[in-house]
Amino acid sequence: MSTRTPSGTTSRAGEAPREPELIKAVPVRHPGRWVAIVIILAVVALVGQSLVTNSNFRWDIVRTYILDVLVIQGIGWTLVLTVLSMVLAIILAILLAFMRQSDNPIFRYISWFWVWFFRGTPVYTQLVFWGLIAVLYPKISAGVPFGPQLFSFNTQDLITSFVAAVLGLGLNESAYLAEIFRAGLKSVDSGQMEAAEALGMRKSKIMWRIILPQAMRVIVPPTGNETIGMLKTTSLVLAVPFTLDLTFVSSAIANRIYLPIPLLIVAAFWYLVITSLLMVGQHFVERHYGKGVDNLVPAPVKATQAVTAAHTTPTTIAPEEGGHI
Amino acid sequence: MSSTTNEPARTAVGANPASINTGEPLVRIQDVHKYFGAHHVLRGIDMTVKQGEVSVIIGPSGSGKSTLLRCVNLLETISAGRIYVRDELIGYREDNGRLHDLTSKEIANQRREIGMVFQRFNLFPHRTAVQNIIEAPTQVKRQSKAQAKAKALELLDRVGLADHANHYPAQLSGGQQQRVAIARALAMEPELMLFDEPTSALDPELVGDVLNVMKDLAKSGMTMIVVTHEIGFAREVGDTLTFMDGGVVVESGDPRRLIADPQHARTKEFLGRVL
Repeated sequence: MSTRTPSGTTSRAGEAPREPELIKAVPVRHPGRWVAIVIILAVVALVGQSLVTNSNFRWDIVRTYILDVLVIQGIGWTLVLTVLSMVLAIILAILLAFMRQSDNPIFRYISWFWVWFFRGTPVYTQLVFWGLIAVLYPKISAGVPFGPQLFSFNTQDLITSFVAAVLGLGLNESAYLAEIFRAGLKSVDSGQMEAAEALGMRKSKIMWRIILPQAMRVIVPPTGNETIGMLKTTSLVLAVPFTLDLTFVSSAIANRIYLPIPLLIVAAFWYLVITSLLMVGQHFVERHYGKGVDNLVPAPVKATQAVTAAHTTPTTIAPEEGGHI
Repeated sequence: MSSTTNEPARTAVGANPASINTGEPLVRIQDVHKYFGAHHVLRGIDMTVKQGEVSVIIGPSGSGKSTLLRCVNLLETISAGRIYVRDELIGYREDNGRLHDLTSKEIANQRREIGMVFQRFNLFPHRTAVQNIIEAPTQVKRQSKAQAKAKALELLDRVGLADHANHYPAQLSGGQQQRVAIARALAMEPELMLFDEPTSALDPELVGDVLNVMKDLAKSGMTMIVVTHEIGFAREVGDTLTFMDGGVVVESGDPRRLIADPQHARTKEFLGRVL
């Protein structure tokens, strides 16, 4: 990253190549930006001052409960709910998106109906419904219709409030994700399908190995969005009712000690931490599926090959000019 | 076909010297029609391509030449007529005079024998050159990865890209991508290769490399149907030249004679514009 100096090159026998004199123009000044900075700094200082001096924030309470064992357990349950319901939703969404593109009309209708139903009713309603499933069907049994029963058990043993919460969140989410996956599959050039077909590959294999990996480039960013959305939607599981997640636990503590604001800060802090971690994870997933398109790591080439050299042209901006506003 | 696998080095990959110009028809296209809705794109095409022959199809855009090529590989279904490759009816099974659709598995099996090269290359962008080539042999033919890779490197060497095995398509020029695409098709050891305007999307200075690979392939005895605008290639490499216009074959015959002395006014006019 050294700055090129015109005088620094000595050419053999005093002939060309001669390094050109690099342009160093006086940049345009932006006084408006300085005014904006002053105003913003003033606002930040005022807010910061209030955070420190306003005793209603009760930072002592925040400090007491931020690592409270109930809160930490609540984080754990929130994470488990998020991960399990997203895994369920992603599996269903891939299935639904493939079904939607199927040649089989029955599959296409089922997929359409599923999305219509689960997207068209509130997730809160669905969670309450799953919580009440044992009222609707006290026993679950399988058998031949109007014939003998093969097995049977109590619904309440099978669909605990935790299972109901995962089902409610996951099935609802699958409808949204199905549309994201469908958009992703559609974004892949039709020539890819043709090329793979011409090689004698079967449709299912083409979808898994050729189309889906390319579609993931488009699918991952909105799915990351949905995952972060899901993290916060888990706060609705009290509708089931499931009462161990972060929101429920922190508000239960708040109700007990009559101090809602510090507990809201505790919950918000942890949601932000988890969201930040999820964003880091998303970065790596995106990098994986950007292979060959977004991140062209220089391929191992023989010295004679300079194809990748074009991607790493030397920077000609002098370092001292990089940071000015 | 399998008798060639143990022959000496002279036999390049995919080559089949035993069958060069044996005169046996490999592809028979009989009175083929194709409609896109009400649009009658192919209006009764008859064409025979012999084993080891290079059959070049030229014609103005919209003449149906690409559609015809795609019908041979079942990327389009024909509306009437028959296409046979090695005496096997393409796309259908004939039973007591009735045609039955083939299952997707049977269609895939037929396509394995037919390699196709596209105008837009259609390499898999998320796979390196060598990964593109081994995809079908490992996934469809169940070859081991090592075996397929050895063959892929041999093919890359043959198309002059041995140094570029680990490049992603985006790191290759158009001409290089197209040569990888040819190698990818050859990896399935097809008995017929279809080329759909393989040089039309290339910068002029890159066309030569691709045509050279195709010439070598023709010399090795591969049966080829080539839709192209490269009259020079047709004259030099082609065994037959077919001029299509408006969904029909206007004229067909020896390329050198047809180019020098076209019999139909439409052929004359077309050649006058492209030469």
